[in-house]
Amino acid sequence: MDVSKLVRMANQIAVNFQYDPSKKQAADATLDHMSRFWSPPMREQIIVHFREGETELNEIASLAVRGLAEGKRHVI
Amino acid sequence: MSTVYKYYRRATDFGTPEITSDKNVTLTIDGKQVTVPDGTTVLRAAALDGINIPKLCASDMLEPFGSCRLCLVEIQNKKGLPASCTTAVAEGMTVTTQSPRLADVRRNVMELYISDHPLDCLTCPTNGDCELQDMAGAVGLRNVRYGYEGSNHLDTEKDNSNPYFTFDPSKCIVCSRCVRACEEVQGTFALTIDGRGFESKVAASQNQSFLDSECVSCGACVQACPTATLTENTLIEKGQPEHHVITTCAYCGVGCSFRAEMKGEELTRMVPNKDGHANHGHSCVKGRFAFGYATHKDRITTPMVRESIRGPWREVSWDEAIGFAAEKLKKIQKKYGQGAIGGITSSRCTNEETYLVQKLVRTAFGNNNVDTCARVCHSPTGYGLKSTMGESAGTQAFDSVMKADVIMLIGANPTEAHPVFASQMKRRLREGARLIVIDPRAIDMVRSPHIEAEYFLGLLPGTNVALINAMAHTVLSEGLEDEAFIRARCEEVAYKNWRKFILDDENSPESMESHTGVTAEKVRQAVRLFAAAPNAAIYYGLGVSEHSQGSTMVMGIANLAMATGNLGREGVGVNPLRGQNNVQGSCDMGSFPHELPGYRHISDPSVRKLFEDEWNVELLSEPGYRIPNMFDAAVSGQFKGLYVQGEDVAQSDPDTQHVEKALSSLECMIVQDLFLNETAKFAHVFLPGSSFLEKNGTFTNAERRISPVRKVMEPMAGLEDWEATQALSNAMGYPMNYSHPSEIMDEIARLTPTFSGVSFKKLDRLGSIQWPCNEQAVEGTPTMHVDEFVRGKGLFRVTPFVATDERTTSKYPLLLTTGRILSQYNVGAQTRRTENLKWHDEDVLEIHPHDAEQRGIEAGDWVGLKSRAGETVLRAVITERVQPGVVYTTFHHPFSGANVVTTDNSDWATNCPEYKVTAVQAQKVTRFSDWQEHFEKFEKEQIDLLQQAQNSSEKVVS
Repeated sequence: MDVSKLVRMANQIAVNFQYDPSKKQAADATLDHMSRFWSPPMREQIIVHFREGETELNEIASLAVRGLAEGKRHVI
Repeated sequence: MSTVYKYYRRATDFGTPEITSDKNVTLTIDGKQVTVPDGTTVLRAAALDGINIPKLCASDMLEPFGSCRLCLVEIQNKKGLPASCTTAVAEGMTVTTQSPRLADVRRNVMELYISDHPLDCLTCPTNGDCELQDMAGAVGLRNVRYGYEGSNHLDTEKDNSNPYFTFDPSKCIVCSRCVRACEEVQGTFALTIDGRGFESKVAASQNQSFLDSECVSCGACVQACPTATLTENTLIEKGQPEHHVITTCAYCGVGCSFRAEMKGEELTRMVPNKDGHANHGHSCVKGRFAFGYATHKDRITTPMVRESIRGPWREVSWDEAIGFAAEKLKKIQKKYGQGAIGGITSSRCTNEETYLVQKLVRTAFGNNNVDTCARVCHSPTGYGLKSTMGESAGTQAFDSVMKADVIMLIGANPTEAHPVFASQMKRRLREGARLIVIDPRAIDMVRSPHIEAEYFLGLLPGTNVALINAMAHTVLSEGLEDEAFIRARCEEVAYKNWRKFILDDENSPESMESHTGVTAEKVRQAVRLFAAAPNAAIYYGLGVSEHSQGSTMVMGIANLAMATGNLGREGVGVNPLRGQNNVQGSCDMGSFPHELPGYRHISDPSVRKLFEDEWNVELLSEPGYRIPNMFDAAVSGQFKGLYVQGEDVAQSDPDTQHVEKALSSLECMIVQDLFLNETAKFAHVFLPGSSFLEKNGTFTNAERRISPVRKVMEPMAGLEDWEATQALSNAMGYPMNYSHPSEIMDEIARLTPTFSGVSFKKLDRLGSIQWPCNEQAVEGTPTMHVDEFVRGKGLFRVTPFVATDERTTSKYPLLLTTGRILSQYNVGAQTRRTENLKWHDEDVLEIHPHDAEQRGIEAGDWVGLKSRAGETVLRAVITERVQPGVVYTTFHHPFSGANVVTTDNSDWATNCPEYKVTAVQAQKVTRFSDWQEHFEKFEKEQIDLLQQAQNSSEKVVS
C-alpha cells in the first residue's frame, strides 16, 4: 500500500486526539484506534516505515507507531 | 415459511384519522353500544364497529372536510342531519345511520354527482374498485332525473404528462381529497381547486400540466382519489389486481411498507401500507412508481464468466459460474495468501444476505476482509454514537418527531433523500414546531410552502465541527445546559474535560465565525431556541458524516444532545437519516471488518467463541481491510480477489480513477447485481441478482425498524441472492445448508443479543420490530437510552476542530459539495431504468451567479470541473441555492463522473470519504473530459462484449 497514505491517516487520527490530557494518552488513543480498525498488513507496513527512520509522522502518531512496533495493542 | 398472499381488496378506510385520548366515550350507533377515544368522529366510531356510513370526501388519511354530504346521520336531540365526519362523539349520544330520510338525501346527492359523470363504468380503469361506484350502489341510485344533456365536464381533456398516472378531469367530483392529500399528507401544496361553483376544478400549480407543475409525483393524490380521475397508468393498462402481499420498499432508509398489488406474478401497482409503521400509508415517487427496473430489459438473468476484463463473456450455468469463481479465489489465496481476497456487502440487500456474505468471508475466505457501502456513508455514525452513547444507531422512532418542539436539521436534505419522513417532519412543523437548518446549501426545508426555518445557518463546507463546538460553547457559557441530566446520566470526569475544552475561547461563536461564515449572533440565537425547547431533536444526514471529521461531528451532535438533556424520551434524540434502505441493517449484521454482528469487536475472545461454536471455524482476531484499504492494497498488488454483492463501487466511491485502477488490478472480481453496472464492467464473474420483489428477508431502516421483504415473484435468474452466496460458500469448502432466509434470521437471533427476540413469525404478527428486541423488550424498542445509556453513563468526547486538507487555493478556488435528488436513487442503476428520467436525465452543476459571471458561464453551458483527483464536464445551472464559492452536483449518472473529481480524503476514524468537500476549479469548456471520453469507449466495449455473449447464447438455443 502507499505508505504516504498510511502516514496521513495516522497523523489524522493523532490530531483528533490532540486534546487528550497528555501526549501519552493521545498516543495511546491513537495506537488503540489503529489496533482496533487497521488490518495487520497496514500496521506492519507503517511499522516498517517507522523503523526506516525518516517519516512524516507527527509527534503523537510517531509515539503511537513506536508502541505498535513494541508489540502494544489495545491499551485503552 | 411462505409468502403470505391475501386476496385483493381495498384497504379499510375508517373515514377520519385515529384520535388518541386518555378518556373514552360510549355512544349508541344503530342500537349498538360503541366505545371510542374522546374526540373520535361519529363516522370513524361507526366504521370501527363495522357500520359503514356512505362517504366520498372523507378518508382516514385526511382531516375531516364535510363537503360531500353523503355521511349525514341523525343524532337524537340534535337538529338537522349533521355530517358524521365532522361531528365528534359525545357520551350517551344516540346515532342513526340508516333511515328513509337519510336514504332520500344521500340518493339525491349521488344523483347530482352522477349527472355530471361519464357512464362508462364497464370500461373504466377503476371498475370494481371505485368509491363513487360503490356509493351509487350503497344508496340505491337507479336513475338520474336531471338527464345528461345540460352543462357538464364530460369532454374535459386528460392530462397524460405524468409518466405514472393519468389525470382525467371528466371523472372528477371535486371532493378535494387530492388537494388535501397534497397538503396534509405530502406537504407540497402543488394542487388547488381553481374556480368557483360549476367551474371548480383541480389544478396543478398555476394551471400547469402535472409534469410541469410543482407536483413531486408522490402519488398521494392518486391514492386519495375516490374515482378514476387520478389513476395509476399500470392499473389502466393491466386492470385490477387479484391479490396483494405486504413488503418493504427497496429504496431509501425510511423503509416504507407497501402492498405489492399483483396479478399472478405481475406487479400491478405499489400502494403504501396504511398500517406501515414507518410511513403510515404514504410514499414517494420512487417507492410507489419506480419499480419498472425490476423487469427492465437490461436485467441479466444468466450467470457469466470470462478470463479477463477486456475479454468476451460466456453465459454459463449457476454451477459453472460458482465453480469458476471458487476455483479462482482458491488459486489467489494459494498464490498470494489467505488475506488476498474479500467481500463487500450491500445496503440494498437484505439483512439475511449481508449476514451471509460476512459469514462467507469470515469462514470460507478465512479472513475479516469484509466491508459494506456504509463505509462511504454512515460509518462515522456507527463510531460516533457507539463511543458516546454505546450503540451504533439512532435513538428514536420516526413518530417521535411529532412530539418535537424544535427540530434541528444538519447536513440532511429529507425532501430529496428521505421524502416520506420529510412529509412527517413538515406536518409537525405546520403544527407549530420550530426549525433550525444547518447546511451549506439552501435546501427546500429552509423555505417552501408553509415551511420556513427560523434559523438557517448556511455554513461553509468542511466547518461542521467548528459550528457544533460554537453551539456547545454557547450552551455552556450562557448556562443553558441541563445540569440534572448531565449529573444523573453522564460520566463526570469526561464531562468536566469536555466542558473545559468547549469553554475555551477558541470554540466561541465569535472565534469560529471566520471558519464557518455564520455570524456569532445567529449561532447564539439558534442555540437559545434549541436549548430552551421542552423537546429538541436533531436530525442529520451525510452532510455530517461524509467529512474528514465526520465522526467528530457525530460525537459533537451527541455531546450537544446530552448537554441539553435531549435524549431518552419521545420528541428528542439524535437521529441519523440513513441513505439506502438497509444501511442500518448491513451495519448491524457484522459487515464491518472489525465487528461481528451486533457491533461486537472481533478482538473480543468471548464474542469470537460464540460465533466459532456456531460456525464451527476458528476466527481471526484482527480486523480486515476496509473498502478504501482494499483498493489501496489492490493497487499495490496485495489484494487480488473481491466478491461484491449489490454495490457499484466504480460509480459510488470517490476518486473514480483510483477505484478503476484498483478494480483493474484484481485477478478475480465477482459481481452479483441486477445489471451490468459500472463495477461489473471490471468483473470476471457475473452472478445475476434478484430484485426485492424476488426474495424473502428483512430490511432495517433508519429508526432500527426491521421490516419484512416478501417474495411476490420467482427470481428471474432462478436463485435468490442468499442462495448464490450459499453456493459460493459450499464451493469454497465451507458448508452452508439454509433452506429459507428465516433460518438465517434465527441464527442471527441466536448470536446477537439485540436481535434475540426477532423471528419471521413475530415480524408477520407485529408487522415490524425496532431492535433491541429481546427478553427485556419483547416487542422492540422505539426509544433508546430511556433510563440509562446502553454504555451506562453517557460519554462526552472532546471534539477539536481540525480543518480539512481540502482547502481552496488559487488553482482550485471553489468548494464542491455533492448530494442527491428526489427522483433518482444513489448510483441510479435502478431509477435510471424507470420513467424517473423524466425529472432528472443528467447530473448538473449548480453554481452561484457571481462565480458563473466571473467565469463567463451561462445557464446550460458545459463546465469543466477539475480537482487534484480528476476532471469531468457538467452542464451549468446558475442558482443562488448555493453560496458564492461553493458548487454542487449529484452522482446519479455514471457519465457525469462526479466521483472522478472527489478525492481520497476521508474521515479520520472510519475512512468514510469526504464527498462533501473537494477543492475545485470550474471553467467553460467545449468538449468532455479525457475521463469521460475514455468512459464512453470502455462502456461501448463492455456492452459489445455483453451482447456478443447474449447473441451467441441465443444462437446455441436456436
